[in-house]
Amino acid sequence: MRAFLKRPSGLIGQVFAILLLTILIEFAVSTMLYERASQFAVRDDEARRLAEHLVIARKLLAEQPPARREQLALEFTTSRYEVRWMPQLPSGLREQPDLDRLYEQVVLWEPTLASNGLRLRLTSQGSKALIVGAVPMPDGSWMYFRTREHVHAADLGLSRILLALAPALALILISGILLRRMLLPMRRLAVAADRFGTGSVLEVEEAGPKELRRVISAFNRMQDRIQRLIADRTQALAAVGHDMRTPLARLRLRADAIADPDVHAAVETDITEMEAMISSLLAFLGGEGDRETPARVDLAVLCATIADDNADHGRDVEYDGPDHFEHVLRPLMLKRALNNLVDNAIHYAGQCCVRLEPVDGAVAIRVEDKGPGIPEEDLQRVMQPFVRLDAARSRDTVGFGLGLSIVARAAEAEGGSFRLANREGGGLCAEILLPRDGPKA
Amino acid sequence: MYAGEPPLSLPTIVLVEDDPQLRTLTARALQENGYTVRPASSAPEMWLALEQGPVDLVLLDVMLPGTSGIDLCRAIRQKSSVPIIFISAKGSETDRVVGLELGADDYLPKPFGTRELVARVRAVLRRGAGERDTAERPKGEIQFDGWTVNLPRRELLSPTGAVVDLTGAEFDLLVTLCDHSGRVISRERLIELSRTRLGDSSDRSIDVLVSRLRRKLSDAGHQAPIVTVRGIGYTLNVPVTRS
Repeated sequence: MRAFLKRPSGLIGQVFAILLLTILIEFAVSTMLYERASQFAVRDDEARRLAEHLVIARKLLAEQPPARREQLALEFTTSRYEVRWMPQLPSGLREQPDLDRLYEQVVLWEPTLASNGLRLRLTSQGSKALIVGAVPMPDGSWMYFRTREHVHAADLGLSRILLALAPALALILISGILLRRMLLPMRRLAVAADRFGTGSVLEVEEAGPKELRRVISAFNRMQDRIQRLIADRTQALAAVGHDMRTPLARLRLRADAIADPDVHAAVETDITEMEAMISSLLAFLGGEGDRETPARVDLAVLCATIADDNADHGRDVEYDGPDHFEHVLRPLMLKRALNNLVDNAIHYAGQCCVRLEPVDGAVAIRVEDKGPGIPEEDLQRVMQPFVRLDAARSRDTVGFGLGLSIVARAAEAEGGSFRLANREGGGLCAEILLPRDGPKA
Repeated sequence: MYAGEPPLSLPTIVLVEDDPQLRTLTARALQENGYTVRPASSAPEMWLALEQGPVDLVLLDVMLPGTSGIDLCRAIRQKSSVPIIFISAKGSETDRVVGLELGADDYLPKPFGTRELVARVRAVLRRGAGERDTAERPKGEIQFDGWTVNLPRRELLSPTGAVVDLTGAEFDLLVTLCDHSGRVISRERLIELSRTRLGDSSDRSIDVLVSRLRRKLSDAGHQAPIVTVRGIGYTLNVPVTRS
């Protein structure tokens, strides 16, 4: 018994249950609607008047020969009732709902009508409800009648439409809600799938029908596997990167023994480039194993120090902004990002300015240069990993083309954004926008 | 005292590095600069080398096969307060901080050149010269006027607790000023110190460094406590405490 009462767990089971429920409701509501029509009644005096009118009209019509009946029937038409004579029963009368209550009322006054085979139906004309009916003549022809004014019980036309509509609306609503509820875990799955690869791994809670649970658990396992695969690869690459630094250290120490200063300088440049490549690759892969925690940092001084450090090494880098601006962030990651931007600017423009500007609810760090800028169509592309704008043969930049990807990641890690734009009048502006959530001191 | 002067005897360095060629090259570079080197390729060899006689410095590769350099550093610290410089192929900041907090005196990332190696060794030996044989090693923090200088981490914290990033030369200048607080240091002496320290390639004049430091140490209308003594040099005119 318990097992029977338990909610069906399968997708099909649940859809079936929902269908069953909606059909049951539909059935109940339509039954009620027809029941209501059959209970339709009018005031007693009205029923009596109708009964008398019908009895008299029938009697008088029956006394005339069929050829005159049509003409006579028109004379029985009053402001209230329209009466017509017809050789056969109009087919429409078969389809209208029965008016059992009204029938009883009428027959109560004139029982002869019952034995004659009276038919009563309800029909609508626009929003009006009308009573129509027919009484058979002794010779098998029919006297047809209908009320000319709509019966005042209710404007049954409108309410009938509403009533017919109500179950449909309710059904749509109920099944919509139920289906939505059932498929809610599906939506969570979609969110998790969308989020996958942007950093945090979202374990989806297993819920919903059996089939969905299976999909979710498969998704979770797949997520795990991919994560592990990436982690393994990253680890392997990082290990290679680390291991390469030992021979590189040997090379650098050996280079110190080179007597020719030109050769020594050239070798030193090569080693520096290789080291820069390894470092940027490790930074991109996160292979340094650093999960840097955010700290309260004087961002203004950090930017100024980057400019100062570069200036100390003979580069034309300035800082423009407030003397102090405290912010909570991951300083090393941001420093690496800003250094990448400054290095780029120095490489392409030979100079740059690091600007810090608090804006609405955020703080903007801009690295602006007066160089050639980047063609508009390439602005998005350069932010992708391993993309470089120099033609492969003429490449003279250090690294793998990971610099801007690292910047974008650093900005994302702080919940901020990174964008590149050409400045009016020439030059490039690289902007990191950080939301100002940490309280400013 | 002789702080800043090289000790009279040749300093002895124990070098722990598992890569044979790098060990030879590093040892040679150190020997050429006047140091006695006792090479070791593993933890047991290191303990043997340490027992052979007084040691002034340990250069320790943290990624030795079989042993974690971090554990080794901790083990050395339990027995001795000899200065330690970590060598690591990881540029990882966590590694650096963990090492420094365990009591390593400096951190040298691979690949390093002779110049950088010797500069670091010299700096650590000079810093250690005055403190050696004291029963308790200082934590390496200097406080003045609400500011905190963390020597091992080479970090400056503002009175509000924010990290204030300085260039290498600025940091060294600040430490020198703290070391001589209340006294006037001549510009010539500062120039000399900034040249020998860490091989910083800065060619900025001391005056530029001082003005930058002042700006970075200013605090909402509160002047930085660095005072110019006209014609002589500079002084830090607030009390300094060490912990």
